[in-house]
Amino acid sequence: MIITEEIKISDNGFVFNSRTGDSFNLNPFGLNIIKLIAEKKEFEQIKEKVLDEYDISDLTFEKDFYEFCALLKHHQIILQDNPLEFK
Amino acid sequence: MEKLIYEKPVISKINAGMPSKFGLPVKQKIISEIDGLAISDLMEKFGSPVFVFSEKTIRETYSEAKRAFETRYPKVQFAWSYKTNYLDAICSIFHEEGSWAEVVSGFEFNKALSLGVNGSQILFNGPEKSEADLTLAIENNASIHIDHFDELYLLIETARKLNKKARVSIRINLDAGIYPIWDRFGFNYENGEAWNAINRIMLADNLELIGLHTHIGTYIMVGSAYAIAASKLANLYVAIHRKFDYWLKYIDLGGGFASKNTLKGAYMPGTETCPSFDDYAEAITNALISSEIPHENLPLLFLETGRAMIDDAGYLLTTTLANKRLNNGKNSLVIDAGVNLLFTSFWYNLGIFPSKETSSFTEETTIYGPLCMNIDVIRDTIVFPQIKVGDQLVIERVGAYNVSQWMQFINYRPNVVLIDLEGKTHIIRKRENLETFKSLEFNPKL
Repeated sequence: MIITEEIKISDNGFVFNSRTGDSFNLNPFGLNIIKLIAEKKEFEQIKEKVLDEYDISDLTFEKDFYEFCALLKHHQIILQDNPLEFK
Repeated sequence: MEKLIYEKPVISKINAGMPSKFGLPVKQKIISEIDGLAISDLMEKFGSPVFVFSEKTIRETYSEAKRAFETRYPKVQFAWSYKTNYLDAICSIFHEEGSWAEVVSGFEFNKALSLGVNGSQILFNGPEKSEADLTLAIENNASIHIDHFDELYLLIETARKLNKKARVSIRINLDAGIYPIWDRFGFNYENGEAWNAINRIMLADNLELIGLHTHIGTYIMVGSAYAIAASKLANLYVAIHRKFDYWLKYIDLGGGFASKNTLKGAYMPGTETCPSFDDYAEAITNALISSEIPHENLPLLFLETGRAMIDDAGYLLTTTLANKRLNNGKNSLVIDAGVNLLFTSFWYNLGIFPSKETSSFTEETTIYGPLCMNIDVIRDTIVFPQIKVGDQLVIERVGAYNVSQWMQFINYRPNVVLIDLEGKTHIIRKRENLETFKSLEFNPKL
């Protein structure tokens, strides 16, 4: 999972894609996650950190995380050639 | 260390140039209780989905309507529109408040009788009245609202056979300035058909014409339409006296008052645009009082409003079954109540609300029911907060028509619960079960 070069993310959750001209809002937790993805953290590492800090089950987070990644891909914010890459 | 409250990660696209027209409140409305009872407790006790009716709201709405008319006109009588909601417990509340019964079939007529309504306090409307239905109505001294000439002649014949006099009114369709004109029910005013029918009835020995009835449509957004209708009925009322030296007993303006639900495609929410009972009352009573009818001969005014009387008192409590992201990135929810339980979702954008505090982050969401059918869409687009599986939602203003027009499909119809004035709950219609259906079926192969 790589965040494309054209993406700019502000500290308050505003996202701009200079390739498509689209802009987006992240909710606070979405901002946390995208920052971890930008740091090239793997899913397992992200999950460990989230479960440590938040009151959430691993399965719920896994489902939400993959849904979030699908949205990022839909909006051309991350590159993911192989749909089975998330692991 | 105490853990932080989790909220699922979301990203939403900003659509520039499309600000909200109304500056709608940012804070999400929550319905956490009905008449002081927690949604979670109601659902734990009665299951999901479940219809809940508030007796308090029913009585308050009735009082409001009654006050609006009785403070403006000397003789007013409401008749509860059975087809809007004919659960026994609901009808009984209206009858306790003083409503007569307005029925449109033999089934509804018998239901009213079974609830102890005196036959003379039943208005029998509708285009479908069999000879047996008419016999029942004549025997019980009901007021039969004639819909068409075939029915008029059947009624004359039936009354002759019984050697009894039938008390009748005629339903009149007219141009009240709103479109479409409902011309499929009753006799037309403008082309003289209604006047012909009146003359025929006045000549019939075994019919006693006692009233005039119209019902101009449904969800009527302008009171002035009722004023036109009332004026036209008043003209007939006076014309009958002029020709036959006879005053009728009543004028029935029917129903059709809008509820506060928002129609699909409406520019503004129904709560902002829907006329109040006072608006309707002002238009109707002014028209009657300022007509040519002498004040000492003003007719009794019947009103059969159903939707505006009961919609607000009904809620459907439902549970979120799934969150789904559609191909275009749009969020969607699946809930456990489908369009088979919510007939009104076909024409209203029903208000759907979480039952507890949610994240402040909202996005456009489609809400689907659980039916395995593509048409099962409760809300095509609603700005909605993040909802988790299992979260309980409340659909408001579903008291009218849904529990009379609902369909059983792939699952059982749910419990219907009434919260009484003391805050006690009562199941007023039990959830169906397999036996409900087995008991009606016969299998020749077994």
